[in-house]
Amino acid sequence: MSKMAKLAAAAAIALGALGVLGEAQAQGAKPIVVGSTLALTGPLSATGLVHKLVGEIYVDDLNRRGGLLGRKVEWKLMDDQSKPDLARTLYEQLLTADKVDLLMGPYATGAILSAIGVAQRYNKLLISHTMGIPSLAKYDMHFPAWSLGPNPQATVPTTVFDAVAQAPKPPKTVAIVTSKFPSVHFLSLGAREVFKQKGLTEVLFLEWEFGNRDFGPIAARVKDAKPDMVWSGDIGLEGNMLLEAMKKIDYVPPLHVHTYPAPGPMAAAPETDKALSLTIFEEHAPFTANPVAAQFVKTFKERATAAGLPYTAVETQAAASFTAWRIFEASVVATKSLDDRKMADWLKTAQVPTIQGTLRFDRGNNFGDDLMRIKQVQNKAWVTVWPKQWAAPGATIKMP
Amino acid sequence: MTFPSLGLLSQSVLSGLFLGGMYGLIGLGLGLSWGLLGQINLTHFGFVFLSAYLCYHLTMVWGVDPLLTLGLLVPAFFAVGVVMQWALARFRVSTFNSLLVTFGLTVMIEALIQKIWTADFRKLQTGYGEEKFSFLGLYAPLPELLTLTVSAAAAGGIWLLMRYTDLGKAMRAMAEDAPIAAAFGVNARALALLLSGSCVALAAIAGVFFALSFTLTPTQIFSWVGVVFAAVMMGGLGNPLGPLLAGLVIGVSEALAMAVFSPSWAPIVSFSLLIVLLLFRPAHR
Amino acid sequence: MKPRIAISILAVGAGLATVPWLGLPAFYESFLYLLCHWIVLAISWNILSGYTGYFSFGHGAFFGAGLYATAFLAGKQDWPFLATLPAAALAAALLGTALGAVVFRVASVRGELFALLTLAVTFVLATIILNTPIDGGPGVYLIGVQLPRLGPSANASIYLMGLAAAVAAVLLAYLIHAAKLGAGLFAIHDDEDVAEVMGVPTYRFKLWALALSCALAGIAGGIHAVFVSYVTVAETFSIAVPLGVVLMSILGGSRHWLGPAVGAIAVTGLQYFFTSGEAAVTGRALFGLVLVLAILFLPGGLLGLLERLRRKTPSPVAADAKPAVQPALAPSPAASGTPLLQVEGLFKSFIGVRALEDVTLEVRKGEILGLVGPNGSGKSTFINVVSGHYRADAGRIRFEGRDLAGADGHRFARAGIARTYQIPRPFAQMSVIENVALARMFGGVGCSRAEALAEAAEFVAFAGLGPHAQARPDALNLHQRKFLELARALAARPKLLMLDEVLSGLTPAEIDEAIAMIRRIRDRGTTIVFVEHIMRAVVALVDRVVVLNHGALIAEGSAAEVMREPAVRAAYLGTTHA
Repeated sequence: MSKMAKLAAAAAIALGALGVLGEAQAQGAKPIVVGSTLALTGPLSATGLVHKLVGEIYVDDLNRRGGLLGRKVEWKLMDDQSKPDLARTLYEQLLTADKVDLLMGPYATGAILSAIGVAQRYNKLLISHTMGIPSLAKYDMHFPAWSLGPNPQATVPTTVFDAVAQAPKPPKTVAIVTSKFPSVHFLSLGAREVFKQKGLTEVLFLEWEFGNRDFGPIAARVKDAKPDMVWSGDIGLEGNMLLEAMKKIDYVPPLHVHTYPAPGPMAAAPETDKALSLTIFEEHAPFTANPVAAQFVKTFKERATAAGLPYTAVETQAAASFTAWRIFEASVVATKSLDDRKMADWLKTAQVPTIQGTLRFDRGNNFGDDLMRIKQVQNKAWVTVWPKQWAAPGATIKMP
Repeated sequence: MTFPSLGLLSQSVLSGLFLGGMYGLIGLGLGLSWGLLGQINLTHFGFVFLSAYLCYHLTMVWGVDPLLTLGLLVPAFFAVGVVMQWALARFRVSTFNSLLVTFGLTVMIEALIQKIWTADFRKLQTGYGEEKFSFLGLYAPLPELLTLTVSAAAAGGIWLLMRYTDLGKAMRAMAEDAPIAAAFGVNARALALLLSGSCVALAAIAGVFFALSFTLTPTQIFSWVGVVFAAVMMGGLGNPLGPLLAGLVIGVSEALAMAVFSPSWAPIVSFSLLIVLLLFRPAHR
Repeated sequence: MKPRIAISILAVGAGLATVPWLGLPAFYESFLYLLCHWIVLAISWNILSGYTGYFSFGHGAFFGAGLYATAFLAGKQDWPFLATLPAAALAAALLGTALGAVVFRVASVRGELFALLTLAVTFVLATIILNTPIDGGPGVYLIGVQLPRLGPSANASIYLMGLAAAVAAVLLAYLIHAAKLGAGLFAIHDDEDVAEVMGVPTYRFKLWALALSCALAGIAGGIHAVFVSYVTVAETFSIAVPLGVVLMSILGGSRHWLGPAVGAIAVTGLQYFFTSGEAAVTGRALFGLVLVLAILFLPGGLLGLLERLRRKTPSPVAADAKPAVQPALAPSPAASGTPLLQVEGLFKSFIGVRALEDVTLEVRKGEILGLVGPNGSGKSTFINVVSGHYRADAGRIRFEGRDLAGADGHRFARAGIARTYQIPRPFAQMSVIENVALARMFGGVGCSRAEALAEAAEFVAFAGLGPHAQARPDALNLHQRKFLELARALAARPKLLMLDEVLSGLTPAEIDEAIAMIRRIRDRGTTIVFVEHIMRAVVALVDRVVVLNHGALIAEGSAAEVMREPAVRAAYLGTTHA
């Protein structure tokens, strides 16, 4: 290369850098505004605060690192009061009245679908925290942070089957009991199919209405059926209530898997010991070998304690939330723009390293790999037991 | 479908009885204040949860035995009830309007609980939860047994009071016709204060037993409204035994339906039964 | 009805329909849609519960029926969306009418029991939808549904549909309120039994109110299905709808046709105001506080305040009313001897008590028949049965040759029978003149609401209540309430007027005045059955006397003759105890 050319290149780089710097300074006064809603009050608010804390942690950290594209990031958060119709209206307000630059998704299926609808009408990118039913997320600029693959109804029960096959006494029979809550019900129906194909004998299948208060008869029927394993499609407190009801009739199920239990109560109660569940992240190695994850776990514990939350460990909800922000940051940084279409196009081919593993979005409805792992309550704490490469050091699946 | 075993059926009935006892205990104060004071007191649900949270806090943070917290909570909530009645009477709140006022209060209590304890789940872990009795292959856990016993004792006790004491008769007279009762020397204002205090105290009792059996989150407050209202209205307003009996009917019929058919169809059994009872009950006029 | 108001409603609606073309941020359409949505639901509730007093706690069921009708037909059966809306209205209305057709026949299911019933229906419907292919559990996703292009965007289209529904609902609420239907519904609200006896076809009216209410809720549900686009059973049948509509109606004022709309706007707006993510929980507490304070200081609701201010200015009509006017009564010839009412073998018993036992008697056109007997002898029961208040167990009641026994109460009033109640039972929430107008509207041949109000003033004046025409009955003393009873009965222009102890509690001077008035009524052609304890009045007024004892007729004849009968003397003096 000639001297002149080198000089010119250097000058160009310098100018470019100056230009970028100048631009950054010029825009420094005007932060990038990200808008989203969360269920901070109302029936779904039990986990709303977790997502709020994670968002605050991430945005604080992002700004400490200099923001995005040289601009500060401001998070405009609104409370959708657990109402999907209000979530829709608030997202429209964020976009058309408050004119935020980018959107972040809410966390419950109903609210996410509302937000997807709005994003679709305005061609905005939407990254959602915990979208549990991939087949419903048909919008091509929606990206899930919770990586459960395009067909969790097949892949998740398969993972569960593989996990319990490692148990000291692998099951031959299964009782499938499930809530009719949409995002767990379809998983349970999938589990029926998978277990049948894998040769397990189904000794009981029961469905209850979400909001059911009396688990006594269900527990008694499970006890009567004497299964080797119980698949419990439950969400929130339902798993705890089922296990409490079982304890009351002196029954301990041999192996029991719960889809989406409330992590705190499920870890703490005496009767929930050895409960199996699904996860994408738990705060132990190898997850915490990632320094970002380790730092996040530490910060989250501080903030959650300060906020008065009873359960301060990072698990699926907090990890998915953190991942959503990570995906958001990665796509802005990689495309160096706030253009929704560019970011979406990049994400479709990208591999984003996150605290739950490397995510991609190249399969059905932008869902990539099924990264669901199996965790178990051992000594009043959740530990990942399957697959082996994500299991806590030395942890294996145990029987009660 | 194989026919369920006798053990399964009896255990399910027991389970329904226990849940019915909870419905009855929550509904007792609600029905009394509705029937005798003409207040549809949604705040009752708020008070139940507030008491449950206070019991949780006293037990988990200060190490008080959960049943001993009754000694503090009952008088404190009684006082709250007196103040509430004083305010409602001062503003002459009608039955219809009481629904809105008490809804607003409930929302405030819900927010207060969420502010202090967050909306995340709280479970009172005590030795009581570990105790249970077993006989003939059936199991009766202590917290549920206590709930049912207290529910029956409270309902029965108040029924006796209202029937056989002058105070109780005065209360019924006041509910039937306040001006006439006043003419016979019934001090309606004082009685109303006493009654309201008692109803809120009953909410406190319900709250303590609620905390013994259920995991708490403030956002669940409104999810109990439907079924407990149904028990109260079915049982007859102002009738102390009604909510418990209706609660037991709902609880047992649902539990049996769960044991025999699909649990997800259970509500149709209890509420269809309720509709039929309603249409064919003898007219009271 | 004032066309001015109807036109104003349409004009406001037309004005709001321009919003999508004003270039406002699109979220205003969604926000306004939410307001419209709750306006429709709150008004829907109020047409049933506010107007008739039948408190529904089951509007979640009617809303849900409509919502799932649309979700199922548009989402699973690929119907065009607009075609699903009538189906949604129909599904809800059918559910409501089927329920009403059974429930409204059961007299004991009133008040809180009706609320309980509707609540139970909600649970049952939710369970059915959850366990059948209508939903089945996974929820119904409606994102692929094609919306009609009513506005520049999909949002605008939904908003315009919501607006149309809201305008229709408000208009309907006003038209019902202003029509005879509304007057009848408010009468049912205050005293259903009396309303029926005054000629209001209560069963039919209640069914209409329920059907219209349900249809509105169903439409709101149908549109809302596409607004939320993902519908689930848990969300749809939650306590939010049944509780929300009640709160909105109370806050706005449930007696005013516009009240629920105002309440809906206030509550929805307030909720929207507290959506900041920073202080969400504090916002919720403040929301509760505002509701509490609002109703403590505005017990009649927001529009109740307006009403109260209006009531303070006395109506000029009332002051002008002249007591000297002689109102027109039913044209009928003077005493002729031909029978007007023939009662044969009438039986009526209550639990364990025989109140009427084989009573046979005749009332002749133009006469005043005295009905006497000791307390508990069955006089009031006789009036209650012959006025249609109670249904006879057996026997015939021929009025002008037609048998009315077994007919609904309002048929008696329509046929030309009117009565007063011994203990006055005015419609408590209506003014004096409205009370009287109601009887005119529904009794006898009936007339329109406007005519009735115009004529009612004469009857109010005739009864000496002119200065109190706009007052509520609870502002009257007993004497005035008795005359209100009389004015109501007269306003129906009855052929047969039954007076149940109208004189008791009056001073001797007032009695003289009343006797003169009753004579005047008869002289103008009305036949009268007169129940009275005050023998002076009986002797002075009646042409014939009938004596009842223990539910049986023991004597009949002129007053003087009858008093000589040993059975009558025994009954009055109680020889059994002597």
